[in-house]
Amino acid sequence: MNHKLLTIGYLYGDLMNIYGDTGNIIALKKRAEWRGIEVRVQNISLGNRIPTRQVGTRIDLFFFGGGQDQQQELVARDLAKGKGKVIKKEVERGVPLLAICGGYQLLGDYYKPHKGPKLPGVGLFPAYTVASFDRMIGNIVIETQFGKLVGFENHSGKTYLKKGAIPLGMVLKGFGNNGKDKTEGCIYKNAIGCYMHGSLLPKNPQLADWLIKKALEVKYGKEINLDPLDDILESQAHQAAVRRFA
Amino acid sequence: MQLLLAILIGKLVAYFSRLFKIGGGTAAPGLYALKIDPGIVEKLSAMIPRNVVITGTNGKTTTARMLSHFAKEAGLKVIRNHTGSNLERGVASALIHQVNLGGGIDSNLGIWELDEAAFNTVAHKLKPDIIVFLNVFRDQLDRYGEVDSVVKKWSQTLKNLDPKTIVLVNGDDANTSKLGSYFKGKVYNFGFRDYKIVGEAISHKRGKENLDFEASNVKLNGLKGSSFQLTINHKPINIHLPLPGIYHIYDALAAIATTSFLFTDIPIHRLTDTLKSFSPAFGRVEKLAFPHSKWDAYIFLIKNPAGATQVFQTIAPQLKPNDRLLLALNDNLADGTDVSWIWDGEFEKLKIENLKLKIVCSGTRAADLALRLKYVGFEPKSLHVEPNLRNALKQARNGLKGRLFILPTYTAMLDLQKILTKQGVKNHYWEDNY
Repeated sequence: MNHKLLTIGYLYGDLMNIYGDTGNIIALKKRAEWRGIEVRVQNISLGNRIPTRQVGTRIDLFFFGGGQDQQQELVARDLAKGKGKVIKKEVERGVPLLAICGGYQLLGDYYKPHKGPKLPGVGLFPAYTVASFDRMIGNIVIETQFGKLVGFENHSGKTYLKKGAIPLGMVLKGFGNNGKDKTEGCIYKNAIGCYMHGSLLPKNPQLADWLIKKALEVKYGKEINLDPLDDILESQAHQAAVRRFA
Repeated sequence: MQLLLAILIGKLVAYFSRLFKIGGGTAAPGLYALKIDPGIVEKLSAMIPRNVVITGTNGKTTTARMLSHFAKEAGLKVIRNHTGSNLERGVASALIHQVNLGGGIDSNLGIWELDEAAFNTVAHKLKPDIIVFLNVFRDQLDRYGEVDSVVKKWSQTLKNLDPKTIVLVNGDDANTSKLGSYFKGKVYNFGFRDYKIVGEAISHKRGKENLDFEASNVKLNGLKGSSFQLTINHKPINIHLPLPGIYHIYDALAAIATTSFLFTDIPIHRLTDTLKSFSPAFGRVEKLAFPHSKWDAYIFLIKNPAGATQVFQTIAPQLKPNDRLLLALNDNLADGTDVSWIWDGEFEKLKIENLKLKIVCSGTRAADLALRLKYVGFEPKSLHVEPNLRNALKQARNGLKGRLFILPTYTAMLDLQKILTKQGVKNHYWEDNY
């Protein structure tokens, strides 16, 4: 039997889903299902634990969206209580992860608000974020190892990559991490953090497929080649954004 | 002197913008007049005996229009800002339009729609007798910010408002129902006896307490509208609303509740009985008759996840195999430049088993829309991408054997209106209301 099962862990999906983040889950789910891969989406939030080898089915792919300030604080505290460490360990093992906006910030070293002390992050991405009074809003196009990626950013936190950190890509149009150094996002092992809403994955199917492929390879311990899909509408939406904004 | 100059300039701008068909003069006159006299709204609105302010994410225009309908039936002369001009400049433009050069305004009721942000800076200038809070949903984050911060700013604004103001809140919306605790004056709530608002994660479980304006025995009657019972002062009245969808019942409750405070000497059922002749604003559930065609078209404005989901829920049970959909998604400033919201709207509601619909996707982000529908489960070959709205309309009507449902975002709706005006189906939008 060639049956495959993919378990997606939606981190704090009830609290962190500010604008279209769910579209990323929809894209991952559908693109796996269209290839005959069974998908389960598991919401992991304040009340529950991240399943590990010892308890329950392991998570094969993590998704982490953005949230409102109040929710983000709750989540930061919850991550510090232990979930952050588990996520880090899983990513070290090769499990892919996509974090957008608030999720990206929380997985960095720390977040420095306008007032008060630094809020410690999970320390997964070698990056830190500083609150600013600039609102970085608009369409964004970046050049990456996955080709061009298109999306929409809306953030005032400025993220700076530490020495040795690898950006997801370089900004062709938009602000990116901090509006200055032209970098956008960060990639560490199979984990990606960035500021791109849009939703990101439906319009950038190559990235969605890369996450699915990595998830299955880690889970089944062998190289996986995904069947190609009819991506005419996907590339139409992608091209339209590149043409209009880049 | 400064005021008079501001009025003059405003009137000139309005004159020229109509002359050159730049628009209906619903925002520009106010914009320029405010530069000359920033106090123009305060000064001119003070001449109107009573003012009502309506705010919230969805339903402002329909509520204002319904309230205006009741007020006119009651014999009042109404002034209101129109066609989605919900900022201070829109209010100023309407005032400038109505003021005569002697500086007088011949209206006895002002009905003002203010958007979530403008409410905080403009409401106090209008010294409202009544304020209505309809709901708050995630809307354009690039303009309004997050829901929590919208509610927080509203509560701060309420703290400083005259306690003689009557405040009406949607009691079924967890965010508006808590506003009362920030206000020193009287607060009344409206809503359903048992209901939760769909399309967002907020719901309201009714406790033992009654609402001040409570709808019960709600019956939805397809696209024709709905009927419900409303209990005011322990007296039930039956209401027939010629607008489909649960969301419009909230607009009606808000309008009727406001009316009951404005006209204490008129039995409320006399006014609600006149709803038969009420017609909604352009693009809000409008039925259109195309010339030389026996098929009807309906327009439903969609602009944010909650509103769009409510529209899908309303039309989905009505869809028949020969019907078609035309959706138009623009990403102009007035639509919100971030189209991510379509991934939060429940387009899944449109997917009906065994129903193969032809769908035309249009607007500046037509391809994004088609992609959203593909991920709902529609066959890519049933999805037609045509960014040009005129061509899209043609494509949708070509060979149409059922009805056409048109779901545009705000600026796509305005474009659509221009196209329909040229085809002789519609009036200019600025002729629609004044």
